[in-house]
Amino acid sequence: MSEKQPVLLADVDADGALTEALGRMHGSTRAEALRTAALGGAALLGAAAGAPAAFAAGGHRQDVAILSFALLLEELQAVFYTEVERNKVLHGGLKRQATIVGAHERAHVRALRVALGKKAPKRPHFDFGAATEGPAAFRRTAVAFEDLAVAAYKGQAPRISSRAYLASALSIHSVEARHAAWIRRLAGRQPVQGPFDEPLSGHEVATIVAKTRFVMQMQTKGKPRFTG
Amino acid sequence: MTPARTGLVAAVLAAVLTAGVLLATRHVPARARPSSPAVAGLPGPGRLGLHVPAPRVLGPERERSTWGALRTAAVARAAPDATAARVAALDARTPEGTTNLVLVLGRARDRRGMTWVRARLPVLGRAVGWLPSTALAAYGTVGTRLVVDRRRLRLTLLRDGRPIMRAPIGIGAAGTPTPAGSFYVRDRVTTYASPVYGPVAFGTSARSRTLTDWPGGGFVGIHGTDQPGLLPGRVSHGCIRLRNADVLRLARLMPVGTPLRIV
Repeated sequence: MSEKQPVLLADVDADGALTEALGRMHGSTRAEALRTAALGGAALLGAAAGAPAAFAAGGHRQDVAILSFALLLEELQAVFYTEVERNKVLHGGLKRQATIVGAHERAHVRALRVALGKKAPKRPHFDFGAATEGPAAFRRTAVAFEDLAVAAYKGQAPRISSRAYLASALSIHSVEARHAAWIRRLAGRQPVQGPFDEPLSGHEVATIVAKTRFVMQMQTKGKPRFTG
Repeated sequence: MTPARTGLVAAVLAAVLTAGVLLATRHVPARARPSSPAVAGLPGPGRLGLHVPAPRVLGPERERSTWGALRTAAVARAAPDATAARVAALDARTPEGTTNLVLVLGRARDRRGMTWVRARLPVLGRAVGWLPSTALAAYGTVGTRLVVDRRRLRLTLLRDGRPIMRAPIGIGAAGTPTPAGSFYVRDRVTTYASPVYGPVAFGTSARSRTLTDWPGGGFVGIHGTDQPGLLPGRVSHGCIRLRNADVLRLARLMPVGTPLRIV
């Protein structure tokens, strides 16, 4: 995969969990179409930015969908940082960043899981390919994920109907923005792109994440084939 | 005005001003204090809907085990090197059709910078080998460990090193013994219509040494039974049998990927 090729949602959404979350907000047909949208591209960020007007009156139901979507994005980041930390491939400033930010993302996951309770979606599995196996690949992917998280929270916030959840989303959003600035600085990029945040371009998201789609199946309803 | 007189006047003025300020702040209620027009009337920061707990860095993970899922069929090698001896060929799927898992034991890089994963494998004989990391996709961790004691006919599930469940079991009869060694749980099978296996079954990486031509390759399972009166005992073809209530409890407590030690 070339450096200029964008990472697709399908590349990292191993078992379709993110697509499912988008489906709850937009309907399954559009969500499936978005699987081929570039991570960080206008289409996906537009989708992350909000639900159709007809559904916007859903209130609580929409808040649940938005929190579920936020949870999946947080899971994506938490698993990513945890995996790279366990692989022990980072040193110095990058290691410090991954350790601290990973702890933040895991805290966000716990908070969202508690808030959603039984409505929380099943924990997804992500395929990061080689992105958790070396500093350069980690850096590029971390920039993409942090920029995506900032854009997603920013897009969802105006559509949260509960003021209490909105206040929390804004608190997390600013932390994600700091994460993005931190990793951008470590990656030698401008921490702040301009006076007003623009959507990420596909080219901004350099790819190291594995291209192969992967669906995890740990349970089956088939007949056991053990010795008995 | 003399300097002494000037100093006296200044001191009196300062005292009067200080007293005035103190009196004003003492007698005027806080809400009536004059404030900047820019913040007048603004509400407080508001209640938060989420309670975000204190962040926790990863601690020592002595009791954690990591599994990796096979993305593709792959060849395991005796060393982290593409030219090393072949240990086993692995499918991406188990005989039940689930994603094939291996238990991650370590990592290394070869001379060309390629990452290799040392893993416990679901094969007979040498059940440890090196896989290229490109063959593995999602990873997961578990804090559980399962111990099967063939002499005492007892199963113990541990979490974070502490026993959380014990149950009597049935194991392989003399002609079809349950193999000893280090293995792992690699899938879960539910809602099949076979009372012989009880309500839920787990597939493991352990394989029978005597029933190698069994459909699926003779893998050892952990499952319920329709003959609970035979437990505990040496009654099976190699599988580990539990009473149905016990296997249901195990299913609530034990995630796929749990290491299994049969002694």
